[in-house]
Amino acid sequence: MPIQIFDPTTETTARRIAYAARPESLAGRRIGLVDNTKHNSDQLLLRIAAILERDHGAKAHVIRRKKSAGSAPHAEIIEEYKANVDVVIAGVGD
Amino acid sequence: MELKSRRHTVADLASAIELCYTNGWTDGMPVVPPTEERIRAMLDAAGLDPEHQLAFIENRQISVTAEKVAINAVMAGCKAEYMPVVAAAVEALGDPLYGYHGPATSTGGSAVFMLVNGPIARKLDINCGDNLFGPGWRANATIGRAIRLVMRNVIGTLPGELDRSSLGHAGKYTYCIAENEAESPWPPFHTTRGFRAGQNAVTIFAALAPHQYSNQLSATPEGILTTACAYMKISAGSARQPQYALVFAGEHMETMRKAGWTREQVQNYCFEHARSPVAELKRLYMMAGDVAPEDERTMFPVVREPGDFLVIAAGGSAGVQSAFIPGWGGKEGSQSVSREIRIP
Repeated sequence: MPIQIFDPTTETTARRIAYAARPESLAGRRIGLVDNTKHNSDQLLLRIAAILERDHGAKAHVIRRKKSAGSAPHAEIIEEYKANVDVVIAGVGD
Repeated sequence: MELKSRRHTVADLASAIELCYTNGWTDGMPVVPPTEERIRAMLDAAGLDPEHQLAFIENRQISVTAEKVAINAVMAGCKAEYMPVVAAAVEALGDPLYGYHGPATSTGGSAVFMLVNGPIARKLDINCGDNLFGPGWRANATIGRAIRLVMRNVIGTLPGELDRSSLGHAGKYTYCIAENEAESPWPPFHTTRGFRAGQNAVTIFAALAPHQYSNQLSATPEGILTTACAYMKISAGSARQPQYALVFAGEHMETMRKAGWTREQVQNYCFEHARSPVAELKRLYMMAGDVAPEDERTMFPVVREPGDFLVIAAGGSAGVQSAFIPGWGGKEGSQSVSREIRIP
């Protein structure tokens, strides 16, 4: 006898996500670096910032450390970066 | 109220089980086909409307509805009366302090340890005794399994995709126990979280596998805890300071009772003794940096504060085994959280 079963998965719903406009150049831009707390992630980010400043004219950088690799940056970092930086570099390093 | 999930019609029971495999909806073992009658029985037992949101997982932007939880609870083999426990545990998954994304996704490979307290644990026959973490009890086997199926099917926590566990462990199939409140030397665990003893509550904890230790040579709390601390000092959580669950089984429980030791004494003793010199942690490559002279004298405890030891009474009445369970990562990434189990 035929039986009917129900789908246990989440049905995806489409939603438009607004991305921030990408700068055409990094010249004169201030860089915000998000340290994800993993060992040496700060070293990697600082090297990236140095390259961006040396080769692409970025003006300055700041680096802030999240509380945990598994969570989003806390509010203080987001507020500071919204106010004081033009470009943010974040990634999952391990 | 109408169920909104997509429906699939199949020829018979065997085809339904096979379809669940084909579609990647199982943990590797067969599931109970989720039919409307079974799903509705789950929802009714918890007094939940299908569209009721039990959790919202921020990082994934996923709303976990009662309907989806009920479907997965059916598939896990739950009885309808287990649904309030499953629903409360899903609510806890959505607590920011639990921090779903970290422990669910991390290479660290944690599982959702669940502790059930209150009269419902006895009513549902959730095992708190012999073979505590082993098989044999429907409630333990299926309530924990339901949570894993929700994680997999509803929240997309799929191995190799958004579950990147390097190793994982068997608790990822199910990791649900009750506390042995009747024989515990301490007040029920959930009373430490502000609940009354007569209330029902579930506590979830992002946890690695249980580590068993034996001590048949000492009949004092200090002796038993000396062994526990020796193991914990160098364990998965060393230098990371997660929370740790301490599960005391029958004979060790009795030793604590005879000595009149409180839960707080156990926590304080372990906080003082489960610690290592920073220098040793550095030499063992468990902590970064070069060894400085002061590192030889600076002691680093496995948890941040005594309350980060979750002291639980459970396990078989015979034997001299107990267990400690390291939490995932560090406390700043995930903490144990408790929710009331509401029965309509």
